[in-house]
Amino acid sequence: MNNIFRKRLKTTDLLQRSIKTIKAFFLVFLFYGIGEAVSHFVKIGLPGSIVGMLLIFIALKMKLIKLNTVKPASDVLVKYMMLFFVPFGVGLMMYFDFIKSYWLVLSVAATGSVLMTLYTTAWVLQKLEKDDAL
Amino acid sequence: MTLYKFSIFGILVTVIAFLLARTLKTKVNIVLFNPVLVASALIILFLVLVDIPFDDYYKGGKYVSFLLGPSVVALGVVFYEKYQVIKRNIYPFLIAVCCGGTISVFTVVIITFLMNAPEVILKSIVSLSVTTPIAIEITKITEGIPSITAGVVITVGILGNAIGPGFLKLLGIQSPSAIGTALGTAAHGIGTARALEEGYLSGAYSGLAMCVNGILTTLFAPYVVLWVVQ
Repeated sequence: MNNIFRKRLKTTDLLQRSIKTIKAFFLVFLFYGIGEAVSHFVKIGLPGSIVGMLLIFIALKMKLIKLNTVKPASDVLVKYMMLFFVPFGVGLMMYFDFIKSYWLVLSVAATGSVLMTLYTTAWVLQKLEKDDAL
Repeated sequence: MTLYKFSIFGILVTVIAFLLARTLKTKVNIVLFNPVLVASALIILFLVLVDIPFDDYYKGGKYVSFLLGPSVVALGVVFYEKYQVIKRNIYPFLIAVCCGGTISVFTVVIITFLMNAPEVILKSIVSLSVTTPIAIEITKITEGIPSITAGVVITVGILGNAIGPGFLKLLGIQSPSAIGTALGTAAHGIGTARALEEGYLSGAYSGLAMCVNGILTTLFAPYVVLWVVQ
């Protein structure tokens, strides 16, 4: 008797969680859609996804939506982000000759930029920050 | 058999290769075994061996990469979570990221100019410090080659991840928030992974730096490219 009851409790729990997750994905996609629409109609020079990112941040900050409502979806999307750019990585196969001709510039630019950016950012922040005694 | 002509083929191949690559990364924790790098290499090898054209793969692949858009939106949620942690240092933080982001773009401009690289290189790699989905959006604006962007951006991430903290400590940077911010600004998500290993505070600064530098670079890099190209 008890077992059956527990099982049923588990199924409703699972169902509730799936509904929550679906709702979360719907909201994130909705913000993406709004972002795309805004960037299409208002010429601000920002891609739709970034407009959506700013809008969802503002909505969270103004308490229009709760963190827990969107978190189930955003956590999954961020966790699997790497997966989504694999097709562009595969696209490199179309550019083997290009890379062969320009590998030197590409590597010098990558290395130079990383080192300069790392040091500049860290140096400025260390100079300006208040002591973070956390 | 023309099964590979259907878009489900590209989707399946991408997911399977990615899961394989991720398992490999958990088994052998070397930066070079970046899941995107390994998965892409596996798929390229497979397509070349079985003689399937890229266009047929991309029929399905484009559905996978479509999800980059929503995942950029999801970064806004991360941004909100981290924002609570670094509120008290927000202005020094913003100034540092702006300096770093600007230096990154100008370093690329100067190096490509000095080395006499064709325009398309600058157009493709001007955003190399920025997280891949945003970098690809920038490349679409500047009309570069998105695949080159992805390749270089991932290389930059791996470099930052591998040498970042050691390089900074060598130059006398000790503050964990400074190391985190630098990693996020210079080496986006792959750098942030390293910052998280240094501690939660570094990780929070790094994640936020990645978002802010993404927005900043989108706002000004296309104009820099336009100005240089003309």
